[in-house]
Amino acid sequence: MARRAKMFKKESISVAFAVEQLQKSVGMTAKALNYTDAETRLITESNLHRPGMALAGYLELFTHQRVQVLGNTECRYLANLETDEERKKAFNNVLKFPIPCIICTEGNVLDEPLLALATNAGVPVYVTEEPSTRFMYLLRDFLEDQFAPQQSLHGSLIDVYGIGLLMIGPAGIGKSEVALDLVERGHRLVADDVVMATRKEGQVVMGSGTDLVQHFMEIRGLGLVDVRAMFGIRAIRFQKRIEVVVNLHPWDPDEEYTRLGMMEETYDILGAQLPLVLLPITPGKNVTVLCEVIAMNHLLRHYGYDPAEVFAERLSERIRKKGMASSDPGRGIEYFEHDYE
Amino acid sequence: MVEKEVTVTNRAGLHTRPASMIVRTASQFKAEFYIHKDGYEINGKSIIGVMTLAAEQGATLMLICDGPDENDAIEALSKIFADGFGEVV
Repeated sequence: MARRAKMFKKESISVAFAVEQLQKSVGMTAKALNYTDAETRLITESNLHRPGMALAGYLELFTHQRVQVLGNTECRYLANLETDEERKKAFNNVLKFPIPCIICTEGNVLDEPLLALATNAGVPVYVTEEPSTRFMYLLRDFLEDQFAPQQSLHGSLIDVYGIGLLMIGPAGIGKSEVALDLVERGHRLVADDVVMATRKEGQVVMGSGTDLVQHFMEIRGLGLVDVRAMFGIRAIRFQKRIEVVVNLHPWDPDEEYTRLGMMEETYDILGAQLPLVLLPITPGKNVTVLCEVIAMNHLLRHYGYDPAEVFAERLSERIRKKGMASSDPGRGIEYFEHDYE
Repeated sequence: MVEKEVTVTNRAGLHTRPASMIVRTASQFKAEFYIHKDGYEINGKSIIGVMTLAAEQGATLMLICDGPDENDAIEALSKIFADGFGEVV
């Protein structure tokens, strides 16, 4: 098996990038309230923090490295303080730490003197109309995705009947050719050659192509083929969960292949264990059809039907009944009537 | 397994022609060949993979060869990097 590629993850993203992406990908607007260098201000983790206790003066265990969210409670607390001096003092409790940024939710705005303090400290302040819980849920999900472990894989990712099939195997075994064949049969290409995998929560691994290559593929002997231009929008998709890994390799007489049940072995991608099918390549074998069967079998099992289990059950039932009926293997049909079709 | 750090020296960077040169050279060897750049690793025998790196002049790449003829492979591959793919440096 090929050497496993190393995983990598983003160490940080800039506050400006996060705000821009929130608008673009999540459809959530956050408006800047002050002018700071948000391009160089960095967010380094996906957790968020509501600094109520810090405003009140309790600074132990203050997770200042997180994005600070000021909701109704925090803003009301600041507004209810008697004097501007008290307000500034409370706010400085938060600002004296190197916090990435402050985001006020539900349209709460900070007073001018407080904003001036933030600007001096170089801390960008934003306001959003979203309620705190919804905003925090969306922002956290976005940040989790940004900081998720990633890995580049050598293989082809295709959506076959809605199942994300990742084909791996040595260079030149014919992964791209099988992918093209699957596209021709109406399945959808996600990426060929370089698949970017991102680990989400649980056993979920998402796959996509790279921004440069997208749906180009190289077919040996032909050159580059642009699947989107050639087969149209129905033949592609931009992301798909990787659900089954198919390892294509030259047939090896010493290798033990699965005979009855499918998908007992697993393949590790970024720590997630995905069902693996070892598929030996021999002349005359239609790998495309086998890939379709693998996908359909996965679907059947997903909906609770395991052919290997069903057959095993049928066999045991027959063995139990032995003695009651004839023990010879019977014909599948009792009587052929007068039907000679 | 052998590793070697190389630099892209030609002005135009790792565009299509150098990429196919690398893949063609790598394919002459049995050893598996990977290129590592900025925590990102691709199979060096795949032309799309090599082009994905979009490596510019001055970029440093880590070449990794693994297999029976790994020493010959890494020598041949680092040589074409050193020669700037026969292009303007």
